Amino acid sequence: MSAQPAAPTPRGLLATLSQSMPMPLLGTLRCEPEEMLALVGPSGAGKTSLLRCLAGLMRPTEGRIEVGTSVWCDTAQSLFVPPQQRQVGLVFQHYALMPHLSAEDNVALALLHLPRPERLRQARHWLEHVHLKPEQQRRRPAELSGGQQQRVAVARALARQPQLLLLDEPFSAVDQLSRLKLYQLLGELRRELRIPIVLVTHDLSEARRLCDQMVVMDQGQMLQQGSPAALHRSPRNARVADLVGIQNRFEATFETDEGEAPDPQGSRWATLVWRSRRGSGAEALRLRVRDKGKIRSGTPVSWVVAGEGLELMPAQAGPNTLACRVLEILPLGEISLCQLEPVALPGEVLQVYVTAVQRAALEAAQAGGSDVPLQLLPGALHVMPTRLG
Amino acid sequence: MDWTALILSLELAAATLLVLLPVGLVLGRWLANTRFAGKAWIEALVVLPLVLPPTVLGYYLLVSLGGASPVGQWLQAQFGLSLTFNFAGLLVASVVFNIPFMVQPVQRAFEAIPRSLGEAAAVSGLGFWQTLWRVELPLAWPGILSAMVLTFVHTLGEFGVVLMVGGSIPGETRTIAIAIYDEVQGFNLAAADQMSLFLLVVSLLAVAFSFLASARTTQRR
Repeated sequence: MSAQPAAPTPRGLLATLSQSMPMPLLGTLRCEPEEMLALVGPSGAGKTSLLRCLAGLMRPTEGRIEVGTSVWCDTAQSLFVPPQQRQVGLVFQHYALMPHLSAEDNVALALLHLPRPERLRQARHWLEHVHLKPEQQRRRPAELSGGQQQRVAVARALARQPQLLLLDEPFSAVDQLSRLKLYQLLGELRRELRIPIVLVTHDLSEARRLCDQMVVMDQGQMLQQGSPAALHRSPRNARVADLVGIQNRFEATFETDEGEAPDPQGSRWATLVWRSRRGSGAEALRLRVRDKGKIRSGTPVSWVVAGEGLELMPAQAGPNTLACRVLEILPLGEISLCQLEPVALPGEVLQVYVTAVQRAALEAAQAGGSDVPLQLLPGALHVMPTRLG
Repeated sequence: MDWTALILSLELAAATLLVLLPVGLVLGRWLANTRFAGKAWIEALVVLPLVLPPTVLGYYLLVSLGGASPVGQWLQAQFGLSLTFNFAGLLVASVVFNIPFMVQPVQRAFEAIPRSLGEAAAVSGLGFWQTLWRVELPLAWPGILSAMVLTFVHTLGEFGVVLMVGGSIPGETRTIAIAIYDEVQGFNLAAADQMSLFLLVVSLLAVAFSFLASARTTQRR
């Protein structure tokens, strides 16, 4: 090995895994320091197994895990650093606190490398850090609330001064109040620690609200990584679109506009022939969509449109403006969810979130039996292959 | 009261405990943590002394370890050791007979420790011995304690196997349970009475103590 100068920029986590037994696990994920990454997917998608590989509790068949400047696992070189020697903090789903030890002793257990008085001093420091009061610090886990137990578990993970912090379903078992406190704590931690933080969750809205990056997993595969906004805007395939909870997903045929010159901005445009899945197939709507040159004309595709790409009652009618019938308006507090059916394509339903003002206009239209215009902004339509993979 | 018999019984119980405790810890912990095809057979073998009549067990021990058996002859030739009708033989029989009383509670106690605690210990930097000493043993302690008490008390009251393997040699193999039998045979009911009552009280106290202790440890959680 050649002597390397100290890396100028801190590096985060880079993990590439591939195995089929005992459970499939495939893909690559990257998480920069100070970044928070959410692993999302249905239960059994392999989220926890992935976390266990990162912590060193499971040895992948093939793979490489790099954190900062150290390599924790490289099966090509038969390298596997056991969990004891990885500077990793793992917060278990049900906390896994030692029931026979007080909160402070639980944290001190992660500091056995220090002399005894120093252990307890640091344990108290970390418990204060997660806002646990001194009298709570002396209690056993059974005498603490779920939220308090979780904070002890976080303190124990932090006491090792980890290079990587992992949290398994941190929000699943805590009540709303503890949840808000936890949001705040995680926000503080990521600023101070400047290490990659990976959390497992099945709550998409939570992942979207808290995390910079999301990895969508299904059946052990890491299907796609990106910012929550990017995943919503342009999911790689129909399965990802479903898993990130995109409601407006439809089938169409992609047709390139042969011979048409690019517009002044240099974009080429194509047409989506959107046919009703339920109707006779005769009705069709033609939508303008950006042509990135990746899909051949005549290919059946899935397409999605995120909320930002839908403009209800636009000031002036542009391309892709559809006359829609108001099917249902569902009040959800400050906003309402409205179901719109294109008049030209009965059976297809677009879901749109609307404000109170828009809701009043929609209710008036519904009562009067009139249609409302809805524009699908051409740049916001995302086209992807229909088949999985 | 036959003090010699009582002291012999206490010695035998202590020696049995001393030999069986490490065996029970290793075997019990191993059975709690592993899964393999033949595990049910090993577990059945562990429980066997519990269901066999003591005389049957004693008979096999006598036959397999006695002077006429290959094992007995080999032990005699190599070490000058005989394992029948003496204290050493009694100890071997007692250890075998008490295996289920030691191993089973210990196995259950280790099984009750959630796997995640061991994993949490590992990511907290604890090696095998540290995890054993600071996490597993404290949590398994009520089970280990009750196994120890059961083994001790059970050895005090053992009769059939002792009689088969050891006979009734005063100061060597005549334990308190045998002494009671002998006194009854000799119509000395007063002595039998005294010793029986003593054994009853000691057993009751020991078992009650183990329950109390384990209830207290559970309460603290």
